[in-house]
Amino acid sequence: MDVFGSFALLLALLAAAYAFIGGIAGILGRRPLLTKSARNAGMAVFALVSCAVACLEYFFFTDNFSLAYVAEHSNRALPGFYKFAALWAGQEGSLLWWSWLLAGFAFVVLAMHRKKHPELMPLVGVTLAGIQIFFLTLNNFVASPFHVLAGMNAAGHLQVATVADGNGLTPLLQYFEMVIHPPMLYLGYTGFAVPFAFAMAALLGRYPGEKWIHITRRWTMVAWCFLGVGILLGAHWAYAVLGWGGYWEWDPVENAALLPWITGTAFLHSVMMQEKRGMMKVWNVWLVFTTFLLCILGTTLTRAGIVNSVHAFAQSSVGGWFFGFLAIVLAVCIVAWWKNRDYLRSDNQLDSLVSRESSFLFNNLVLLAACFAVLWGTLFPILSEWVTGSKISVGPPFFNKVNIPIALFLLFLTGVGPLLAWRKTSFDALRRNFAWPLAGGLAVGVVAFVLSDRDFYALICLVLAVFVTLTITSEFYRGARVIASRGGTNLLAAAGELTMRNTRRYGGYIVHLAIVLIFVGISGTAFKTDVQKEMMPGQTLRIGPYTILCQNFDQEATDNYQGDRATLEVLENGRSKMMLYPAKRFFPASQTTETMVAIESSPLRDLYVVYAGRSPQTGKPVIHAYINPLVKFIWFGGIVMILGTLLAMLPERRAALVVREAREASWGSDPAPPVTVHAGAQASRTDGDD
Amino acid sequence: MTKPMNGRARRARIAGLGILALIATAPVALALQSAGADSASREAKLGTKVMCMCGTCNMAAANCNHPGSSFSGPCDVARGELAQIRDRVARGDSADLILQSFVQEYGPLVLIEPPHSGFDWTVWIVPAAVPLLALLAVWIVLRRWRGRAAPAVAQGPGVSPELLARVRHAAEDDGRA
Repeated sequence: MDVFGSFALLLALLAAAYAFIGGIAGILGRRPLLTKSARNAGMAVFALVSCAVACLEYFFFTDNFSLAYVAEHSNRALPGFYKFAALWAGQEGSLLWWSWLLAGFAFVVLAMHRKKHPELMPLVGVTLAGIQIFFLTLNNFVASPFHVLAGMNAAGHLQVATVADGNGLTPLLQYFEMVIHPPMLYLGYTGFAVPFAFAMAALLGRYPGEKWIHITRRWTMVAWCFLGVGILLGAHWAYAVLGWGGYWEWDPVENAALLPWITGTAFLHSVMMQEKRGMMKVWNVWLVFTTFLLCILGTTLTRAGIVNSVHAFAQSSVGGWFFGFLAIVLAVCIVAWWKNRDYLRSDNQLDSLVSRESSFLFNNLVLLAACFAVLWGTLFPILSEWVTGSKISVGPPFFNKVNIPIALFLLFLTGVGPLLAWRKTSFDALRRNFAWPLAGGLAVGVVAFVLSDRDFYALICLVLAVFVTLTITSEFYRGARVIASRGGTNLLAAAGELTMRNTRRYGGYIVHLAIVLIFVGISGTAFKTDVQKEMMPGQTLRIGPYTILCQNFDQEATDNYQGDRATLEVLENGRSKMMLYPAKRFFPASQTTETMVAIESSPLRDLYVVYAGRSPQTGKPVIHAYINPLVKFIWFGGIVMILGTLLAMLPERRAALVVREAREASWGSDPAPPVTVHAGAQASRTDGDD
Repeated sequence: MTKPMNGRARRARIAGLGILALIATAPVALALQSAGADSASREAKLGTKVMCMCGTCNMAAANCNHPGSSFSGPCDVARGELAQIRDRVARGDSADLILQSFVQEYGPLVLIEPPHSGFDWTVWIVPAAVPLLALLAVWIVLRRWRGRAAPAVAQGPGVSPELLARVRHAAEDDGRA
């Protein structure tokens, strides 16, 4: 079976190589049949890598420890759920997982567009095949998951060996989020290969107009959403498993995932400039290139071990390969851009500094500043060691000091940008659109200043959050009011109608609301409190409005782990509110321990309780309790972000209405009043669609 | 005699006063925040400024919780560092002196924040300088875009009235078709 998996991977590499070379030959020689067969080879890669993935999973589920990778990352007692996830627990499997997702994206792209864009798609296929060749080379020759365990037999000959049981999966990964967090991140990383391939193809083929932008818009949003969800799931995993009461520590690997997400966000905004006004073409192409390069850099940091990180389980020597690939991709990007730079000339010019265009420019500038600051802080220890010879730490205080002001300015732009009109915004329009949201934000700020603990950044964040929420709400309200008055529907139904007419614009607003929620959740960190105490049964601990009463400690045991568990009663205002069972589990297979945090979550605060284990000095059990305000806003914001993104990807109803009205008019019937088309635009007070 | 203020102007004035109030109260908020911080334990504060030097957890000594180990709290190394801080605080050493003693023992790697001196100072300067330079670049781009000349009117001999009439006629035919 291991031979079958290895053979499938080898065939996949050959198919990718054929898709690449055959595709180039077909394009250069103008041979459609060769181009078509190269495309089919590109699609076949998916089937072949799927065989390899299925083969490796078979080894996991049958507890066949003759494969080194399976022996290292699984054991017999591991629940089936985690056996499936063990596929991407280590270097070799996670690279195979990369290849499979990339092949999946390539398959869907090539299949969906097989009869469209004949000048563009062959180049897209070639670009995707080029990326696949790199990963499949790693899968076959550098980090194969199909290496068998070998040992000497009695006759002194080398033969396939096996072990009775495996080392098991790292306990930190035995958590529900860990089953979906890596796939989400990888879907984001690999998904950005699609807009990259289209941008490269459009540039190399000098594909006319902004068509490639229209084709890739949904692909970019899909990748962006997956990456965002992956980052949030990772944060939730850190929160629920690591037991330190936080969710983001500016770890290099966390930063590595954040970087392409930031540039992807910049691209999703600036791309509208190209669609609407034919501007920022060079910028957009480079944003797509940079996003993909940062995806590769991210995975390089995860694996190369060049920076200190808690994500040490995937470090190895593949870093050099990734740096080589990065250099090649960067060189190809530079050459492609330099040779075709005249194709990227801007069609229009800026009419006013107070306009949607300039707000996009500022938005991009601030996003890239944030991206640069994170990248700079992440890589600076290497630079410092190279220059001064001594290594330094760049910890969370640096990232917080640099990024919080940038992030707050970005939040401000989130409120301002959408209300500015394309080309030019008058002072009257500015005053009309911003007076009430600004007043509302300031009023809430003053109240919070009087009533709260007065953290400066948290106050500013609150003011801006209210400001942005009110600007977005007013946008919905104005549009819905016009539709309601003309159509005789209620405001809620009219808001729904408005949203469905311009899903992209209003879906985008919902994503903005999600960002506001996430910012509010993050600002709650300023008011975090914690208490740590040695507790014996019958003793209490007070934190915030809660009293925690220790009832007892007991043991739990399964085939997979043994655990110490605390039984705690939580009282609020003297009344019993709930029971919490934080635990400490020991996994014999890997000889490591995992914390099972108990969290009582409410919209305003989380009571986060850790059974830290027995004190090394006294041997008594230690309970560490935290009050984490507003954390739920972050996770709820993530759900809203997914919903907003899905909405923005839906086709707009407006186009269908226009077609229907035109048909009715051509039949000579009384056409529907044009309100259905114009209401949204009239209501928005801006002349843009997005 | 003052002019009566209309509703819009009044709202604008209220909004303006609100902005002024926020700007005026911001320094007070900051002062209150730092006063609160001063009252916090110096030991705990210094514990968040030095890394746990055990080499595995990558956390501040005061926050060390060692994921994956038998005790989710400061490890032996972090406890040693915190004890060292406690002793020096009790002795009356200044924060700078305490941090310097850690740097002498472990090197600059022990500081959770990069130093504000020498080459390492650039880690602070560059993230501030780059956005400013980018802002300058954006400003130049905007000026170029705005300053770009409007398309010039074509020079040369004018179109003859006969040609114009013929084109108009052809266009009308197209329109009827």
